[in-house]
Amino acid sequence: MKNKMFVVMLLVLSILYVQQAAAQKESHKEYRDSTISECNACHKSEGIAPNHDGDWIRNHRIVAAKPVNKCGECHDQSWCLDCHKGGGIGADFKAEGSRRDFAPSSHRSDFINIHPIKAAGNPQSCLRCHELKQCNQCHDKFPKGNLRIKSHLGLGANGQWYSPQSVTEHATEARRNLQSCASCHPEGDVCVQCHKSGGVRPHPRNWKSDNWKDRTKGKVCLKCHIPGTF
Amino acid sequence: MGLKRVSTALSALLVLSAGAALGAEISGRSSTQLLWYNNEFTENRVFEAAEYLRVNVTKIDQAGKLSLFAYGRGAQSFGPDHDTTGRLYSLYVDYRDLADKADLRFGRQFASNAAGFALFDGLKVDLKNIGPVGLSVFGGRDVVFGLDGELGNTWDTDLGISAYLNGFRKTDLEISWLRKWEQSETARDTLGASFKQYLFNNVKLYGNTKFDLPSESFTESLIGTKIYPTSDLIFTAEYYSSYPQFDTTSIYSVFAVNKYQEALARADYTLSEIFSVNLGYNRQWFGEGATADVYHVGAGISPIKHLKINLEYDKRHGYYGSMDGGIADVEYEINKNAQIAGGITYDVYLRDVLTHEEIARRYWLGGKYKLAKNMALSGRVQNDVNARFTENYSGRLVFDYDF
Repeated sequence: MKNKMFVVMLLVLSILYVQQAAAQKESHKEYRDSTISECNACHKSEGIAPNHDGDWIRNHRIVAAKPVNKCGECHDQSWCLDCHKGGGIGADFKAEGSRRDFAPSSHRSDFINIHPIKAAGNPQSCLRCHELKQCNQCHDKFPKGNLRIKSHLGLGANGQWYSPQSVTEHATEARRNLQSCASCHPEGDVCVQCHKSGGVRPHPRNWKSDNWKDRTKGKVCLKCHIPGTF
Repeated sequence: MGLKRVSTALSALLVLSAGAALGAEISGRSSTQLLWYNNEFTENRVFEAAEYLRVNVTKIDQAGKLSLFAYGRGAQSFGPDHDTTGRLYSLYVDYRDLADKADLRFGRQFASNAAGFALFDGLKVDLKNIGPVGLSVFGGRDVVFGLDGELGNTWDTDLGISAYLNGFRKTDLEISWLRKWEQSETARDTLGASFKQYLFNNVKLYGNTKFDLPSESFTESLIGTKIYPTSDLIFTAEYYSSYPQFDTTSIYSVFAVNKYQEALARADYTLSEIFSVNLGYNRQWFGEGATADVYHVGAGISPIKHLKINLEYDKRHGYYGSMDGGIADVEYEINKNAQIAGGITYDVYLRDVLTHEEIARRYWLGGKYKLAKNMALSGRVQNDVNARFTENYSGRLVFDYDF
């Protein structure tokens, strides 16, 4: 009896929910010129979360990443491209933008010096606008030894070799932020010196080597391994 | 490469001319900009003239289904580092409601799904009105912008496929796949999923995850909720984790990395038209015991009708360094046609490589004047004073013309 009651309740709730959920999404084109407070008052009355709030820049990703989203009903695609691909046609005079590529507000004050701290945070956030190749392009322009990296300081002709004490530290640092290694050593030549076959194994646990062989025909494997040995 | 750009521009001109001849509606913006700044690499002063152009040609056909959209930039810099550059951000033809079942978009465009995003030269097809599930497919040549031009190879390609719930007002669910090829090799192979659900008229649940097929690991996962008892009060809580992965063609893709995790709590409250405030806290875990805490406080104040003050304060301490700083901006609308604004950013930071704190300051002033309904002149000057410069002036002067 209890089971039947449960099933009936589940069915009733499902029907109620589907009725509510199946209401069509509406076009927002006619609201294009509304103020944000007008948008959000209407959203709230319909049970929809307010958006374009103070957290919107950080939080718009899931909404905007949908293959068919509503952004285009108010914004041209240039609106996205200005921040994500260095445009500038919509740059407001209140926003920094005195260089060729528009910089969003997250790139505040002396971003060249501050970005290592920012980049140490969410490692994916930089990659939402920049390819790793872009890091290489900038870092390549600085003479080796000019960049200030803790574990690299002190040794070698250019002051950029690991000190013996920092060998273990570099492993920890690399695991925490491998992108920073790649931003100066794109081909990983310095890594391969120690991590090649027979050296220190760099792979994670449960390493799926076959997946690399299938996708790259073993090209990346050959950087460390002799053909036929992996 | 040059020939390709010329042919692209010619094609655009031909389509524009044809569109105009057919009585299409042409709109857009021309933004002429003069910029002056310090080249960070050579430390030479640069003076640059740039022209940004966005053109929308709509209602090319009688049914109003065919449109063309273009956005690009050309720039000439003067001084010791002089060069000429151009960037075509997008140029695509859009055809909507083909048999009431499909929207098509062909050309250079930006597209995304739950598995990732791409700027590409190719085709996007959205299938709709085929039931409760919609389908979207995009693919083409991958486009990557570098500092001075395009990076990447001719045959780097992208392919994205998505299936998503369609027409549900309070529910979103999407499953996607994105593959990127670097020439003939598969560089990225990612499955993605995202969802959103509204509950009880004041709760939003949302999430997104990406699964990297080569490493068989979840490279990104986000689960969050927003609670909004009123439209002026929003509470946000999120948990995010990331396991960074590289293209399989990179040696770095075979290295072990740590999982990064982040928990966030935030509140946004608009008390009135005069005052709004937001507070946030973010805890970050980098693995092997390394953590960081980030605090944020912000306020928007409008003591009189046309005056707005924006204040932000951020404090970070923990792994890799600390940062403590704030932003103060003031904006005043003199009349319907004129605005002025100015601000200061002041950051004190200490990277773990440094032996002492450094200070970065930015001072800026700007203004905008509407010459006519469709014409505006704006400008901004800023001075950066920091560890590298005792003064570093840069700025831009912009003339926007909307047509």
